Amino acid sequence: MVSAIFEQIVNGIVSGSVYAIVAVGMTMIFGVLRAINFAHGEYYMLGTFGAWFAIEYFDLPYPVAIVIGVVATAVIAVVVGQFVMQRIVGAPPETGVLATLGIALVLQNTVILVFGGGYKFFSGGYIEPVSIFGFTLAEQRVLIIIVCILVFVGLELMVTYSRMGKAMRAVSQNIECCAVVGIDVPQVALRTFILGACLAALSGVLTAPVNVSVYGGMGEIITFKTLPVIIMGGLGNVRGTFFAAMILGIAESLVATYVGLQFRDTVGFATLMLVLMWRPHGLFSAQARF
Amino acid sequence: MSPNDLSLPAPRRDLRLPFGAALAVAACLAPLFLGNYALHAIIIALIFLLPAHGLNLLVGYTGLLSLAQAAFFGIGAYTSGLMAVRFGTPFYLNFLAAGLLAAAIALPLGIPALRLRATSFVMCTLGFVIIGQAIAKNWISLTRGDMGLSGIPKPYFALGPASFTISGTTSFYYLVLVIAVMATLAAYLIVRSAAGRNMVAIRENETLAESVGIPTWRYKLVVFMISAAFAGLGGSVYAHYLTVVSPLTFQMYYSTTMLIIVLGGGAGTISGVVFGSLLFVGLSEALRVAPEVRMIAYGFCLLALVFWFPKGFAPLIDRFWSFLRERK
Amino acid sequence: MTGLPILEISGLHKSYGAVRAVDDVSLHVNRGEICGLIGPNGSGKSTFFDCATGLSKPNAGAVKLDGQDITGWSLNRIAREGRMLRSFQKTVVFSALDVEENLVIAGQMFTFPDLWSTFGIGAMARARVEALRERAREFIKIAGLWDVRHQPAGKLSGGQQKLIQFASMLMPEPKLILLDEPMAGINPKLIERVVESIRFANEKFGVSFLVIEHNIDVVTDICERIVVLDQGRKLAEGTPDEIVRNPAVREAYLGG
Repeated sequence: MVSAIFEQIVNGIVSGSVYAIVAVGMTMIFGVLRAINFAHGEYYMLGTFGAWFAIEYFDLPYPVAIVIGVVATAVIAVVVGQFVMQRIVGAPPETGVLATLGIALVLQNTVILVFGGGYKFFSGGYIEPVSIFGFTLAEQRVLIIIVCILVFVGLELMVTYSRMGKAMRAVSQNIECCAVVGIDVPQVALRTFILGACLAALSGVLTAPVNVSVYGGMGEIITFKTLPVIIMGGLGNVRGTFFAAMILGIAESLVATYVGLQFRDTVGFATLMLVLMWRPHGLFSAQARF
Repeated sequence: MSPNDLSLPAPRRDLRLPFGAALAVAACLAPLFLGNYALHAIIIALIFLLPAHGLNLLVGYTGLLSLAQAAFFGIGAYTSGLMAVRFGTPFYLNFLAAGLLAAAIALPLGIPALRLRATSFVMCTLGFVIIGQAIAKNWISLTRGDMGLSGIPKPYFALGPASFTISGTTSFYYLVLVIAVMATLAAYLIVRSAAGRNMVAIRENETLAESVGIPTWRYKLVVFMISAAFAGLGGSVYAHYLTVVSPLTFQMYYSTTMLIIVLGGGAGTISGVVFGSLLFVGLSEALRVAPEVRMIAYGFCLLALVFWFPKGFAPLIDRFWSFLRERK
Repeated sequence: MTGLPILEISGLHKSYGAVRAVDDVSLHVNRGEICGLIGPNGSGKSTFFDCATGLSKPNAGAVKLDGQDITGWSLNRIAREGRMLRSFQKTVVFSALDVEENLVIAGQMFTFPDLWSTFGIGAMARARVEALRERAREFIKIAGLWDVRHQPAGKLSGGQQKLIQFASMLMPEPKLILLDEPMAGINPKLIERVVESIRFANEKFGVSFLVIEHNIDVVTDICERIVVLDQGRKLAEGTPDEIVRNPAVREAYLGG
């Protein structure tokens, strides 16, 4: 019994890692653009589809497919960023909501139109089980957890030490001042957005072997799950996002096992509503860091 | 303007009335000229007009962006469908119950949600749709889950001993036309009332509105409920038209469509919403556009509306009205 | 006329974290009086206003309007039920609406008994709005805005907006008006106009005023009594003459 719960918790940490990598990009984008990116899950989907395409049509190995998925998403993110996201800087909140909803519709349905709406089999990845601390776990799951840790450590370092990271912090604190001291706000916004989209894509490619199937509508669900995470984490707060993602992942996993699988996807929004009503600033500090 | 104009306005031919009359005649005679499919497209457009009017009161007049319309649309559809299937109640009862229940559910949802600021409110309303879908899927004893409700009867009326059923497309068209006209009239009366003016005041500047004594929060709650009622009524007609309801009624697709109608037609105008629903829903339905293509088009429409045409078609419609009014 | 003050505020406290923005301030405004509230920047005048009018909640203290305890009431309730209106430092109007609509909206909640009746479409509701419109037109004429009455208020000059704001506050037959720096950023000619309007409302309608103002000449001219705030505390209170001669006030203003 105890080991069963423990297994569910580990599973929860894996899916929490997936959410964390997606959500951290979304929360950073919020920090800089002051807009919720309702299209964020679509970049997750694009990354997955890029990798699937590379494996299915060109028979490339999985590591190469990861790169292709992320790069393809980056290219699309550059275009979207240039034409849409940069315009959102400093606009009223409704603008961001509507524009990113529009982007989500376009991306999602273009993929469905091109590749069809059905489920596709994703054949890459490392699905061999390994044994750690006495219980078995697919290699891919271990990889996801490792990548998640690397991503967060990397982001912490970048935000603290690099020029770009400092600029991002500055923009998220005060846009007007940045323009005065010569920080190119639209440029920072664009780079943050591309980085966020790439992280989402990376998360998508890493998860695909675990989920096995890919389909055009998968991004929407990820967006819906990421929204609660970034709100709970306190919008713009990187560490808070990490913990919120883990909590959601573990909670989902436990609910799926002990309450019912069909309730899994509702956990996020149900907790979100409770959190919003109880602590509108999120669980982890009111102060938006980043 | 010549000096003469100052004394008495020159006699003008106000063409608004003739135009309205022509429109009314055209609407009444449409089934004579249109095939069943075109009529179907118009019926769908007119059904969507109801939740769109509700959303317009919220977004266009009160300035609250909401994605919850699909949730109330779904609640209305299920209420109506369940009543008809389980109890065999006549259409008008189901219809009214759908509107009332949607409004009643909007009350406890709106109380906490409306305390949130713009973006959080939007997300909360999105949550209503997702949770609504989950309930429709999982409360199987009531909703039959993913199978959905089927065999919802076409609207039938029972008044005393007489009863009749609306089954054909043409007769359904007239039923929906009457409902849509009534809904439009209701929306018009609301925005023209003192409350409508207060709603605009809240949209323009909430603190200033407060300072002249307008209880902004209570107004928002009431408008949220009214908009839910409109969506519920629309959902009821939708259920009786399609005769099936499934958890997919709780879908972002519907919320997005209603947003496009309102923003595209011109938020904050009644005629714009009517135009928007005929254009964005009616036309795309009539052209048998694939749903993906339609959603892509909607996506681009949203982007265009946000960045280039924040008023949608409203300025064009305005110009058309003043053209009718001031033509000599 | 009773001797009871129209507004009586006692022991008002408001702090933001460790900062005591308003510290135990008591103040009253007599019926029919024009009372001034002055003080250097950051002395807590605006915070005091916000707490008195329900825009923010005071930590302690009581606000009595016309003998009724209104502590903790919201801004809209104080306006509606107390007929105590306030202006904002930055002139605000409903920019997209025309001048007439601005004034009609300002009066609506005072003509309609409750929220539900505002949805009314019957003859009664229409008569109410029509009466408001009449009253609005009268004020528009007095304010000299007749020619622009159908223009969006946001398109008008700052001075004209100021007049709209003032006229809006007169729509509901107020008992008391709180003005937050009505003369800030306007030219001398318009200052005269605003002073005239205040006097007009005071004499013709018996409206009492509490005015925050930096322009000392204006304050001493129109006010019968002046209260001085400094660093969140009440520094002095008295007739304009007494205040001008008060050494503590001079020191606070000139820095000491």
